[in-house]
Amino acid sequence: MKSFINIYESISSAGDTDELMHLAYAKQSAIEIDNGYMDGIPVGLGKIKGEGFFSFLEKVVQQVLDKSNLEDFKDTLLVVGSSVGGMAESESHYFKDKNYTNIDPARHTIDVIAMHLNQKFAFCGTRSFSTACTSSANALLLAKRLIEVGAYKNILVVGADALCYTTVCGFYSLGVLSSKASTPFDKNRDGMNVAEAIGAILIQDTQTSDSIELLGVGASSDAYHMTNPDPQARGAMKAMQNALDDAGLSPSDIDYINAHGTGTIANDKVEALAIEKLFGDVVVNSTKAIIGHTLGAAAAMEAIISCEVLKKQTIPPQTALKVQENEHLNLSTKEIKKDISYVMSNSFAFGGNNVSIIFGRAKS
Amino acid sequence: MKIALNVISSAKIFATKKIEDLDEKRIVPKMILRRRLTRNTKIMLYLADRCGFENTKIVYASAFGELQASVGITDAILYKTQLSPTLFQNSVYNSAPSYFSLLNKDTDEILTISSGMNSSSEALKTAALQALISKEKVLCVATECLDIENIQEVNNCTDYLEAGAGVVVEVAQNMDGAKEIETLKQNGIIKSLETLMSVVEMSEEGKTKILIDL
Repeated sequence: MKSFINIYESISSAGDTDELMHLAYAKQSAIEIDNGYMDGIPVGLGKIKGEGFFSFLEKVVQQVLDKSNLEDFKDTLLVVGSSVGGMAESESHYFKDKNYTNIDPARHTIDVIAMHLNQKFAFCGTRSFSTACTSSANALLLAKRLIEVGAYKNILVVGADALCYTTVCGFYSLGVLSSKASTPFDKNRDGMNVAEAIGAILIQDTQTSDSIELLGVGASSDAYHMTNPDPQARGAMKAMQNALDDAGLSPSDIDYINAHGTGTIANDKVEALAIEKLFGDVVVNSTKAIIGHTLGAAAAMEAIISCEVLKKQTIPPQTALKVQENEHLNLSTKEIKKDISYVMSNSFAFGGNNVSIIFGRAKS
Repeated sequence: MKIALNVISSAKIFATKKIEDLDEKRIVPKMILRRRLTRNTKIMLYLADRCGFENTKIVYASAFGELQASVGITDAILYKTQLSPTLFQNSVYNSAPSYFSLLNKDTDEILTISSGMNSSSEALKTAALQALISKEKVLCVATECLDIENIQEVNNCTDYLEAGAGVVVEVAQNMDGAKEIETLKQNGIIKSLETLMSVVEMSEEGKTKILIDL
């Protein structure tokens, strides 16, 4: 069975998907400088405007349902990817009470997102992934394989992560947070922006007039270091090659890569090397320069951007690039209109967890 | 969609507080590495070792993940002490299988499921899919480590603060004689581990062919 992405919706610091793509093509960042999370130390963060992460979660999923060919989700499996789940709520209670008595263990878990959505929409089942920044990439990988073997006809993948102190302060402790909007692949980049987002993608075994095909998934482990990527980029290359093999494509078939491109020194250097070695001249950029690194939601958000690029046949320029570090990398310095058949999206995470996904225009 | 799995090997372990003997010095001889490992990692390494697992795909599960690291981080933020980067890197839910891959040079796919009280059940379904797709053996492990100070303020779900179960599975040629997963006989185990713990119980009773609904 083939997997088709038929409907998607998102919300991030940039707004909805249309607003996000508008900013992407206009080379504008939605990152704001915040002094509150780090006690006066400025860090660039991506915040969803408005109140209530779970209200946004319901709204985004309702929009997908409304635009889909489904009456409800009773025959749909929900697969969630998240790195923090209910951490923000637990932190809030703990910081106030200095004990655990008001923390609901079920609402602390990663599963709180699936639980909340299942109460409102009643799916036929739910499954949640938490592999840090590849969480929703692995959710997409699972969805493709479940549809491939004929186990499900409809799968809703939701990538969702809210800002919390643990991630902001945690990444700061690693020395990888930027005090301004991040500048992926730039020679003078100084780190990433932690951000929140929700991306929901309906994947089905039937094609519609507007379908994008989920063509290939590939994963690997670096087996090198818990937070630093393998400097020889073997893990990243293996994931990308596995995705190409799964899709039955060669590197020269790929028209655009939406890179993981966090803006950290280590990631961008290794990812650029991996792309250079495997692909040579493919057009690359990182849209984390616009909405930041949305952690467990990042792959879902970047899958949506990849689908938009395929539909619009236009690659956005790399936002915030002044002097690129790796001169062999074909970064999109301006908007590129061309015939785009295949797009790859990369996601890499703590523990050396690597996932690459390939999307293509569905053939009628 | 149902498929049958052969349970090739299995192991389980649990204790009311800290599990005392995880054979750590033999499994991870280098002290500098051993000291960095989380409790979930040590239990996972023990279970994988007992299962005689050779590197291929892994599906790991935990409902609550790395609680000790999470508490350490929130305490550092609350009391304005220095937040250790090691604590943060150890706080992600996929720490245990990531350390496994590091120590064993396993570069294959590793998935981490956290589906609340259905974690080990959903992990087993995912392991079945991985075995079906790859036609290889897959290690499925689930652990919970709730042994943190004052856990009694919120714990009403288990008698065992540290527990884990692991199986190595492959897709069976046919469904003949395959059993539905039985109700766990052992009382007091956290619900998130029940399914996998039950599969280990069944395996110990000689029921090594099970049915899984993907």
